[in-house]
Amino acid sequence: MASLGAVGTAAAGCSRGGGGSSDSGDGSTLQFTWWGNEVRNENTQNAIDAYMEEFPDVTISPQPGEWASYWDRLATQTAGDNAPDVIQMDMAYISEYGQRGALLDMSEHGADTSKFIEGTVESGIIEGSLYGINAGINTPTVMINPAVFEAAGVDIPDDMTWTWDDWRAVAAEITASGEATGSSSIVSNDAMFSAWLRQQGKELFLEGNQLGFSVEDAQAWFEMMLEWSNDGAIPSASQIEEDASKPLDQQDFIVGRTAMSMVWSNQLEAVEASGGNERRLLRFPSIDGDAMERKAWYKASMLWSVSATSPNPDEAVELINWWVNSEAAAEIERAERGIPPNGEISESIRDLLSDPQQRVAEFIEAIEPELAETPIAPPPGGGQLGTIMQREGNAMLFGDSNPADAAQAFHDALTAALG
Amino acid sequence: MSALSELSKLKSKGPVTAEQRAARRKEASHDNKAGYLFLLPWLVGLFVFTLGPILASFYLSLTDYSLIQSPNFLGLDNYARMLTDDRLHQSLQVTLTYVGVGVPLQLALALGVAVLLNKGMRGLAFYRSIFYLPSMLGGSVAIALLWRQIFGTTGLVNQILQLLGFEATTGYVSDPDYALWTLILLNVWTFGSPMVIFLAGLRQIPTMYYEAAALDGASRISQFARITLPLLSPIIFFNLVLQIINAFQAFTQAFVVSNGTGGPSDSTLFYTLYLYEQGFTRFDMGYASAMAWLLLAIIAMFTAVNFLLSKYWVFYDD
Repeated sequence: MASLGAVGTAAAGCSRGGGGSSDSGDGSTLQFTWWGNEVRNENTQNAIDAYMEEFPDVTISPQPGEWASYWDRLATQTAGDNAPDVIQMDMAYISEYGQRGALLDMSEHGADTSKFIEGTVESGIIEGSLYGINAGINTPTVMINPAVFEAAGVDIPDDMTWTWDDWRAVAAEITASGEATGSSSIVSNDAMFSAWLRQQGKELFLEGNQLGFSVEDAQAWFEMMLEWSNDGAIPSASQIEEDASKPLDQQDFIVGRTAMSMVWSNQLEAVEASGGNERRLLRFPSIDGDAMERKAWYKASMLWSVSATSPNPDEAVELINWWVNSEAAAEIERAERGIPPNGEISESIRDLLSDPQQRVAEFIEAIEPELAETPIAPPPGGGQLGTIMQREGNAMLFGDSNPADAAQAFHDALTAALG
Repeated sequence: MSALSELSKLKSKGPVTAEQRAARRKEASHDNKAGYLFLLPWLVGLFVFTLGPILASFYLSLTDYSLIQSPNFLGLDNYARMLTDDRLHQSLQVTLTYVGVGVPLQLALALGVAVLLNKGMRGLAFYRSIFYLPSMLGGSVAIALLWRQIFGTTGLVNQILQLLGFEATTGYVSDPDYALWTLILLNVWTFGSPMVIFLAGLRQIPTMYYEAAALDGASRISQFARITLPLLSPIIFFNLVLQIINAFQAFTQAFVVSNGTGGPSDSTLFYTLYLYEQGFTRFDMGYASAMAWLLLAIIAMFTAVNFLLSKYWVFYDD
């Protein structure tokens, strides 16, 4: 009865009126949860210790987790009315929780984002409420492996002028050389689909839980991807499926089986550490071959949120303020969660950063003139976009459907998911 | 209960005084208390962690419970929605294929190996352990990960095929034409626990039947068909019911192999996987609960049909 058990666990967790965590008297206790890796767990614990030393009347109780089980646990805790006070949040889930009333509007509790770089606060604002504070700046890039380009005898394209067609052509050239496949798949990549839509004046999502693109737009994207596949610019459908289920350090681009891939900027250090050689960040292309028109944006690598039911909302927001605005915290964290969105802070720790982190910081700064508006957070159900796109897009690449049918199915399923 | 009271009647022959009876009652109630005390952990578990959640999930199946907001009553909407849910139908089809193909294959293999092992060879215990091992590991994450490697693009299967001169480049776990079959294969491979039960059943068949048949000149095949199979039929029935129920609930392997998506192209979208997705990825716990009840109904139906049909082929020796 495993399946009933799964539902049953959640149901059992919903006995309401359980223990809150308010310890009045000598200060307050804050439950603090995040997902991470070994480096982040250590940094976070160090920062927590530093905070408790600076503010002895606050006790922080850490709840580290793994991405895979993090969301099950958070959902169950939230359902049981004992969500942690401070929550590391992801863009894919912030509306899910925010719009259902599970998160605090931090602007009403003294959240301080006054020194944040333009375009980095918006990620956490949903229909006027500040549900999440950017924990680190991220931006989509086309990461390349220069060693593969050299071996294939192909020139690295000029990322100020290249187009989507150039990307396909360069990738096909590399594949033809036999050194590696030109590019990892972007068929179901929400960031690249979003960029391509934005360059045509559209968006993935609009306010009011609406899709910002039509079936025809999705069809044009799938047609383009079919062309990439036919040219050999991307791997075969079964390799794409396989790559999508691998952990980062075994993925085709990391191990050198593809020469280019869409990678978020904050992953450069991890990619180089696993891949063993230096990689380069390129701007993603534009339709017209002008980087100033490519509609780049800063995304939050992750966010800090506070539970709506926290007994100590002010203290929780104060802790987040310290985390994003103090040099003490930044010196411990550095850029592990992305480049700090507070400009002064990110300046002050620049010298402490590792070489790849410094290159990311430079890249983030260099693209500032190319920034367009920050896309809104995916509405509830919108976090499904990538999964649905992979299902329908790859069915097309396997030859089980055509771009028109795949686009219709993708659009229908996503609309249903937004409900 | 009744057997026990019969037993106590038998014991207490002769006239019994009122005092003796009272003393016995007291003793018995004392025994009962101790019994219930020892049962208590199990009873708490049953009511708090099994029956309670089952009933709660039935109530939730009639609501739009999202895990985060409090539930609103919908009536039978969730059940009506199942009729038009294409992915639910796909998940049923995948699961039925898995049950319909995987279970007979697994039982046939288990029976075959059990018959071979029953020959009384040397090192029987060793072989029994070797064959049993996979079923202890089969449901585990580690084996599912290993499966993903073996049937991957550059995995062992393709390496062997390439050595033999085939042009094998597709990843079996990532190709919708093969993905489900690799999982069926994984299930068949974990034939150990039905095999051990078959082996125990085979040991129960008196050898005199075979001796008599051999004297009459019956061949090995007809001995198997006319002696082994009929006498083993209760065990076959038991394994069949158990493995069908297990197969309907398959989850871990598909979850790991497809990273929880049921991909490629929903070809491994097991029912439980889709249920999990609705509950924990889409926050639609109401619908997930309704799906759990449909699964319960389907399993109950299959089991009932099994019991009805068993009259025609299961032979009890007593």
